[in-house]
Order: sequence, then C-alpha cells, then structure tokens
Amino acid sequence: MMKNAFSIARKEFTDTITSKRLWLIAGIFLLFSIASTYSTSFSFMIGGQQAVRPMAQIASTIASTMAYMAPLLGIALAFDAISGERERGTLRILLSRPIYREDVVNGKIISALAVIGLTIAVSSLASVSVSILLHKVAVTLDDVARICIFIVFSIVLSFAYYAFSLFISTFSNKSSHSLIISIGIWIFFAFILSIISSFVTIAVLGPPPTRAIAVFNRTRRGFGNFTSPGVPASELEEYLSYMRKAAEISSIIQAFSINYHYTQITDSLFGFAAGPLGFGQRERTIASIPTVLSTRLIDIIVLIVFPIVFLVASYMVFTKRQEK
Amino acid sequence: MSLAIETEKLVKIYGNGKSMVKALNSIDMKVPKASVFGLFGPNGSGKTTLISILVGLLLPTSGSARVLGFDATKHSVEIRRRVGLLPEGFGFYDHMTALENLTFLATLDGIPSDQRKKRALRALETVGLKDRADAKVSTFSRGMRQRLGIAQALLKDPELLIFDEPTVGIDPEGAAEFRNLVRRMNREGKTVMLSTHLLYEVGMICTHAAIIREGRLLVQGSVDELYQSVRKEKGFRYEIRVKPGSEIPLQEIRSMPSVVEITQSDNRVTILSKNDMGSSLFSLITKSPYKDLVESLTPVEPSWEEIYRFYQEGG
Ligand SMILES: Nc1ncnc2c1ncn2[C@@H]1O[C@H](COP(=O)(O)OP(=O)(O)OP(=O)(O)O)[C@@H](O)[C@H]1O
Ligand SMILES: [Mg+2]
Repeated sequence: MMKNAFSIARKEFTDTITSKRLWLIAGIFLLFSIASTYSTSFSFMIGGQQAVRPMAQIASTIASTMAYMAPLLGIALAFDAISGERERGTLRILLSRPIYREDVVNGKIISALAVIGLTIAVSSLASVSVSILLHKVAVTLDDVARICIFIVFSIVLSFAYYAFSLFISTFSNKSSHSLIISIGIWIFFAFILSIISSFVTIAVLGPPPTRAIAVFNRTRRGFGNFTSPGVPASELEEYLSYMRKAAEISSIIQAFSINYHYTQITDSLFGFAAGPLGFGQRERTIASIPTVLSTRLIDIIVLIVFPIVFLVASYMVFTKRQEK
Repeated sequence: MSLAIETEKLVKIYGNGKSMVKALNSIDMKVPKASVFGLFGPNGSGKTTLISILVGLLLPTSGSARVLGFDATKHSVEIRRRVGLLPEGFGFYDHMTALENLTFLATLDGIPSDQRKKRALRALETVGLKDRADAKVSTFSRGMRQRLGIAQALLKDPELLIFDEPTVGIDPEGAAEFRNLVRRMNREGKTVMLSTHLLYEVGMICTHAAIIREGRLLVQGSVDELYQSVRKEKGFRYEIRVKPGSEIPLQEIRSMPSVVEITQSDNRVTILSKNDMGSSLFSLITKSPYKDLVESLTPVEPSWEEIYRFYQEGG
C-alpha cells in the first residue's frame, strides 16, 4: 500500500527541506557556479574573443560545478537515511506499525526524488539566470532546451549517488561509516579514477608529444580554431591521434564512473568543457540536441542503469534484513 | 482458555559458524487472553528476541508463533495492526514535538486523520506528558522518553500490548503509575505482556509469568501455580505475629506432623512446613491461650528470588 509510503515521504520531505544540510549544499552550489562563470568570462576577455555560444560557455561552467555538487547532494540525503533511523531507534518504532518494510524505503525514495529534483532544478535555473543577467548574454530556445536536458541528467547523477549511498545505509549500523564509504566512492570516481586513467595513458602511449602540446596551446588561444596558420598539418594530426587514443583508454578505465559518463554528456551538450583528462576533446562546433543524445546513448544508459541497480539492491538488502 | 500468544518450538539462531548464538531454544509459550504476563529473565536470556519475533521484526529460525490468531511470519502486518509494542532501544524524532511524533505514528497506525490528534493527546495524558505535548523530544529526560514510548504503544488502543522492559529509566512514582495503567488496561480486558529483569515487578502486577534463561523457558503458568509448585518443593511458610511483649508456647506447633522448622524473632514466629497447614494453624490460634496473644497469622508467599532460584536449579 503506497499510502504509508507517502505518509513517510511527506514527513521526510518536510524534514529535508528544512534541514541546514540541504541549504548549505544549495548555497555553496549557487556561490561556486556563479563565481566560476566570472572566471570563464574573464579568460575570454583576456583571449580577446567571444565564445562560439556564450550561453553554452556559461552553462558548461555551471555544469562543471554541478558535477561535484550533484553527487554530494545525493550522498547528503542518503547516507543516514536508514542507518540514522536505526541508530536513533526510530526505525524500531516505525517498523512496529502495521506497515511493510518496503514502505520505509519507498517513502525515503519518493521524498529524495522530490528534494533532488527541486533542489537541482531551482538552483540550476537560479545560477543560469543570474549568470545570464550578469554577463548579459542572449539566450535561444535551443539553449533553454539544453539546460533542461542538463537539469534532467544532473538529477539522474545526484540520484545515482543517492541510490548508492542508500544501499550502503541499508546495511550499515553507523551513519558515519556509510558517509565515509559514500564519500570515498565519490572521491574515487571524481578524482582518483581520472588520475589513474592519466597514469595508464602515459604508461601505454608514452608522454604526449611535446611539440604537439605547444601546438595545442597555441591553437587553444584562438578558441575553437585548431587550424592555426603556421602549424604543419602532420603535427596537428599527431596530436589529434594521441588525444583520440588517450580518450579511448580513459573511456575504458572510467567505464564504471558515473561522473565520467555525466561529464561526457554535458561536454557534448555544451561543447566546451574540458573532460576529466584536462586536455580532452574539444569540439569546435556544438552538435544538435538529437545528435548529442544519440552519440551519448551509452553514457545515458549507464547513468540511468546505475541508480536502478543500487535501488534494487537497497530493496533486497533492507527487506531481507531483520531488525530486533 | 483462549490464548493471545502461542509459540511452538520457537528457535532463533543468530549468526553462523563459530559466532553462532542460539538465542531461543525451542520456546513453547502460552499467554492467556486478558492476562498480565510477565516474561522474566536475566540479561541476554532472549526476551527481546522473543518479542521481536512475535511482532514480525525478526524471523524465527524454526518453529512458529501465533499472535491473536495470526501467524507471526506470514501475517505480521495484521499482528502489528492489533498490537501495541514498546520495543527495546527505541527512539523518537528529536526535532519534532511529542505531539508531532505521536500524530505521525498515528498516521502509520491507520488512525483516521480527524482522530489522530485526539488519540495522541489522550495517550500523552495517560502517561502524564500532556503538558509537554508541544515540547521538542530533544528536551525530554530519559524517563520522559520512556513514558512517550509507552504512549506510542497506546495510540491504536490495541487489544494486546507488549512492553519490552517498560520501566527502565522511570522513577518509582512513574513505575507505580505504569503498574496502575497496566492493571487498568487489564480490567478493560486487554492482554499485557511485559518483559523485565526485575523480579519484584512480576510479583506486583502479573497474573501469569514465565521464566526464561539462556533461550529456554524454565517455567510458565499463573502466578498462583508458580507459588504453589515452589511451596510443594520448598515447603509452606507461615508467619504468626505476637502481641508486643508477649510470647506464645511453641510445643504444640512443634509437635504438628509436617512442621520442619520454627524460627522466632521479636514478636514474629515463622513456621516452615512440608504440607499446607493453614487451616490447622488457624484453628490452633483461635483457641486459648493463643487467641489472646496472637495478632495475626499469614501465609508467607515465596519471594520471586526464591522462585527464580528454585527454577534455575532445575525445578
Ligand atoms: N543481532 C544479534 N547478533 C548476534 N547475537 C545476538 C543478536 N542479538 C542478540 N543476540 C544474542 O542473543 C541472546 C539474546 O539476546 P536478547 O537481546 O534477546 O536478550 P534479552 O533477554 O532481551 O536481554 P536484555 O535483558 O539485556 O535486554 C544474547 O546472547 C545476545 O548476545
Ligand atoms: Mg532485551
């Protein structure tokens, strides 16, 4: 019966919406994302050139902040979702009511979906609109559509971390343990895996061709224009082929990192942002939305499957578990 | 006699391999309807495990339990609809008030929305917390939390109440109020089962009791039956109070056939006898010279310590 799940969800939602934890994360996100649009727009001014799509430039900057905040939001909502109730003894009081164990998990998930959806949508829209006003850029309908897609995948990313952290929380007796494990996994996916990936790249391919880097740096200044005059086509080709192989290795190593898949999607969506390698592919033009969605289909699937797997696992662990 | 709770060969094993603990070892327990049933046992004897199985929080390793006619493994939701439980080690939502906590729990109990607040307030009143209804639980003392715990078990006005160590942390006055509450509910025809490791608590309110040790029920039955069987083994004891300053001749009592031992201190004479000799003692003290010297004659019931020791040593 979903009635009980909704009763639990309603209480949970009120608790979360009024919690300091949520407002802290949302506040930090707004601050960082708006501040970082300044630093990108500043580097443009130094470069003396306008971006191909200023709006996409702003959005991609916000997306790179989101790549950190969305997982933290998910973890913040989930790490003590079950273990906290267990620690405080409220789980016993809940489970002594005429409800099913599923109702407790369902209530938590419903509330989390609402909170994550609301927080990410509102804070993204807020930071995008503030940035638009501050930098006075024009917005097209296509931009709006891209931002909506970005919001959807950010919610999925956050929810993926929620699901993972909930899973840990279901069998953990201590919220501190489940927090440490969840943050550990986040650090692994967000930082360590990309470091490992660059080590492996260098081990397999050798260091990147030095002249190619110089070429790259020269071309980078003229944003979006790889064919700088005076650079031999062969060197450019050497550089590009190194980058392609590096991206391949990275995609294999990071196949299980949802952060990587998320970044792949937002990168294609907004065209600019550097991948986790620091010198990932830079597409000069922005692909159309259908092209983005179809070329990034694998990333999208992984991003969606990940939370489903952990939700199912959470169900299995929690409903099988016995509580004295 | 119809039963509120009945378990059959209930076994619960925690863990496996070397760390295996047999918390319940073939428990056959019968709790009659409209009784106050005390489950007495020392720490770690399996009380909480047994209670948790009854309401479906834990699954038995083998055996079965029926509560109010429902199977505890298959229909635990139906059981929880009818049973008010005070679990061990429970907690409340500290950031919410006592009333908010109870109305939320009343929602999950399936109490219609227009009655939740009324029921919650009534439960708070019953446990003496009505004037703290709007205070946050974080401001509550341990004893107040325990009272709130009792209140949440009363919300749905259940026909069976199961309390796991209800009086821990409650002051003597509160404990006395709790015992009155239990008696009152029992008069209304409700069944109350409570676990305790305090022997005197069993004696004070229970009509029935069971002693559990290391996962085994050593004995169960009505309190009278338990007294009786201990008396049969250990003898019957009577106390004669003599008027201050006077003494009674003891030869006649000593010559009665089943008397084992007579002890005398101040104005008290204690007689231990193999058999029930209440009526013969009574007719004795109504004769002279006793009738002018004796103030009272009372049978001394075995203390719960004695009963417990008796059954612990194997009955
Ligand atoms: N989750 C668990 N895992 C392993 N062993 C357990 C677990 N819970 C209880 N036990 C063991 O089962 C036995 C019975 O425990 P239980 O909590 O039922 O006792 P109790 O009679 O309620 O004790 P107390 O008076 O201390 O509350 C103990 O030996 C305990 O160590
Ligand atoms: Mg216990």
